[in-house]
Amino acid sequence: MLTEGQRQGSGRDGQGGAKRHKRFEVLEKRDVNKDGFVKEWPEVGLIAMGSPEDPEPSIKIENGVIVEMDGKARDDFDFNEIFIANHTIDATVAEEMMAIDAVQIARMIVDINVPRAEVLKVFTGLTPAKIAAVMDQMNVVEMMMGLQKMRARRTPAIQGHVTNIQDNPVLMAADAGEAGLYGFSELETTVAVTRYAPFNALALLVGGQTGRGGILTQDALEEATELQLGMRGLTTYAETVSVYGTEGVFVDGDDTPWSKSFLASGYASRGLKMRFTSGTGSEVQMASAEGKSMLYLEIKCVMIAKGAGVQGLQNGSISCIAVPGGVPGGIRAVIAENLVTTCMDMEVASGNDQSFSHSPYRRTAKTLLQMLPGTDFIFSGYSTVPNYDNMFAGSNFDCDDNDDYLIISRDMKVDGGLVPAAEEDLIAVRNKAARALQAVFAELGLPRITDEEIEAATYAHGSEDMPDRDKVQDTKAATAMMERGVTGLDVVKALAKRGFRDVATNVLEIQKQRVSGDYLHTSAILDPEFNVVAAVNDLNDYEGPGTGYRLQGERWQQIADIRQALGPDDI
Amino acid sequence: MSDNVGATPVGATPVIDGNEPAEETTRVAEEMELREVGEAERGSAPDEVVIAISPAFGDQLKRQTLTGIPHAAIMRELLAGIEEEGIKARVIRVWRTSDLAFIGHDGTKLSGSGIAISIQSRGTTLIHQRDLVPLNNLELFPQAPNLDLPTYRTIARNAARYAKGDHPTPVSQWNDPMSRPKWQAISSVYHIRETGFVKKGAKPVELEVTIKEPDAASHAAEGAR
Repeated sequence: MLTEGQRQGSGRDGQGGAKRHKRFEVLEKRDVNKDGFVKEWPEVGLIAMGSPEDPEPSIKIENGVIVEMDGKARDDFDFNEIFIANHTIDATVAEEMMAIDAVQIARMIVDINVPRAEVLKVFTGLTPAKIAAVMDQMNVVEMMMGLQKMRARRTPAIQGHVTNIQDNPVLMAADAGEAGLYGFSELETTVAVTRYAPFNALALLVGGQTGRGGILTQDALEEATELQLGMRGLTTYAETVSVYGTEGVFVDGDDTPWSKSFLASGYASRGLKMRFTSGTGSEVQMASAEGKSMLYLEIKCVMIAKGAGVQGLQNGSISCIAVPGGVPGGIRAVIAENLVTTCMDMEVASGNDQSFSHSPYRRTAKTLLQMLPGTDFIFSGYSTVPNYDNMFAGSNFDCDDNDDYLIISRDMKVDGGLVPAAEEDLIAVRNKAARALQAVFAELGLPRITDEEIEAATYAHGSEDMPDRDKVQDTKAATAMMERGVTGLDVVKALAKRGFRDVATNVLEIQKQRVSGDYLHTSAILDPEFNVVAAVNDLNDYEGPGTGYRLQGERWQQIADIRQALGPDDI
Repeated sequence: MSDNVGATPVGATPVIDGNEPAEETTRVAEEMELREVGEAERGSAPDEVVIAISPAFGDQLKRQTLTGIPHAAIMRELLAGIEEEGIKARVIRVWRTSDLAFIGHDGTKLSGSGIAISIQSRGTTLIHQRDLVPLNNLELFPQAPNLDLPTYRTIARNAARYAKGDHPTPVSQWNDPMSRPKWQAISSVYHIRETGFVKKGAKPVELEVTIKEPDAASHAAEGAR
């Protein structure tokens, strides 16, 4: 026991403050204390789950029409609620499903004896408040069990960010090539300068198909530009179509659930894979949460995505991650939103894609929630480049974490979507990707890529190692390239003419996918032979030990055989 | 932690990072008076830039940004930056919204040149131009914690140069991947509190600004330059 005198400290420090406990002085210098934390403020919705303002679940149906939902009469519905009542909830089963206790539904999610399909059926008839009540019954381990069973595709995968602060296309192609060898299934880029967008799409396409045939690529931009690049065959998927849980935020963006649905069909009808984006915290960040909890509002977003008919959703807070990250139980709400997405039978690209903490412990602990059970895309943007080059304002993991991530996979015998790659192979693929882009630029009459740039990109850590390009000339040429109507087929011809026949074949195969459209199925990725791997032919069949996806065989050997491990002959 | 924000010296971070905050070598303006002088009219002078401030900027809450920069000091730099390009500055307050893009867009409609700077209490800023859609802009400075006084002055100079019909080089920005973990949650609280001052449907008002110079007034400006 401390005496009063000891507690006060016998003296004051030089600044006149109370005498400090030296351990606290050390603690305060730790990374975790550079993060920002806030107290719950439920009245404005600064609360992860279970706000006093969240409604109680209820449903009333008359003549097949939902006339009351979660304590609100149909006449009082906002447009999100109208959309959900009309397009998401199956009124023919809703009364039956709403009658099941929340805790019972939570148990069905966890119970290995209840097949995935049965849980999906229950979720077709639940209201937003009921789903929130189900999630509130579950702890994070149960939610992880849920993700393992409920995700759509049996084989987990990973998406990577490929960007750089200079929008240097040579570096971008090399980085995309490297990402292919590491096993990424989707690559996403965006721009520092908007006018570079066509070059970024081109660099990602050529570099990606050099690294690994069948990798899907995206250029996150203003929606109309993004659609145009996709229609030209320069990208293959999109995910930056955002939805929100309150009318206020939607209206601020001049949008509605109907306009977003229209846009979604614009992509799909042109053979482009697409998913929506949402996430906890966006509404409260825009001071428009109406006192509702972050998860309750996010559940509405998930249901809007389902009602719009898109095959998947990127969620897990995404760019608002430090908002749930700053309140109690926030990271639990983030895995809950991923789980709800899977329970609505959609692909989930489950976040982990934005810098969220200074602390490597917090960063890792958060990611384990998605990595250990596996999701359709554990990261919706693992930074394949150093975070200083990450134009999404930094990811939760970056290329400097590759060995940590791979060794955690090896420790746990868990497929995190990445596989080790040899240094000499990575150097070779970076060089080839950069040269392939050099050839395409030359054939298409775009500004010259020098051998010096190729050499720099081959060995670069990031844009700091690259010589400067003439950006005025580049952006003018990028604009002209769009005006000229350059398409993916021009890229194929250029590659073939300059001797990159294998890359040309891959880029052509990607164009064919847009015609066949098979990769529009739920949770589709392409294997290196361009076979679609989706929830149709690779449906998650997890029903407990001995079932579902198992990391084994050649793939496990690849992950187990790390370069750092010594063998008996090395000693 | 949010309690500490108010007590932070300018330019230092309130987060404990093991480094002692740098000694304050210059003093900056910490106070200003904002007097409402009626509904803001559309200006006709082609050589004016409007500074459109958010509902709580300058005289509510702690009168400083997320990182503790006094609003008065920022206003001083904005006015000075515009004036040193030979352009006139007009200050208005937008009451109907706390959304940066819409504050700026409202400002452009009142600006004789069609150029406006908008700024929120937390420090987030943009340069807007009439005829652009609200969610577009000329230059956006989304990471308020990375903005210091000299940057605000440069932003103001650029706005003035747009008003003159020039094509200035955009103000260079720095991408801090750790800005989100440090600031996002606190910034949300800040924005919610500011939004509490919104008056739905109210018209923008013209403001008369008097900046109370600190004791070592001229030194502050020198330091900022």
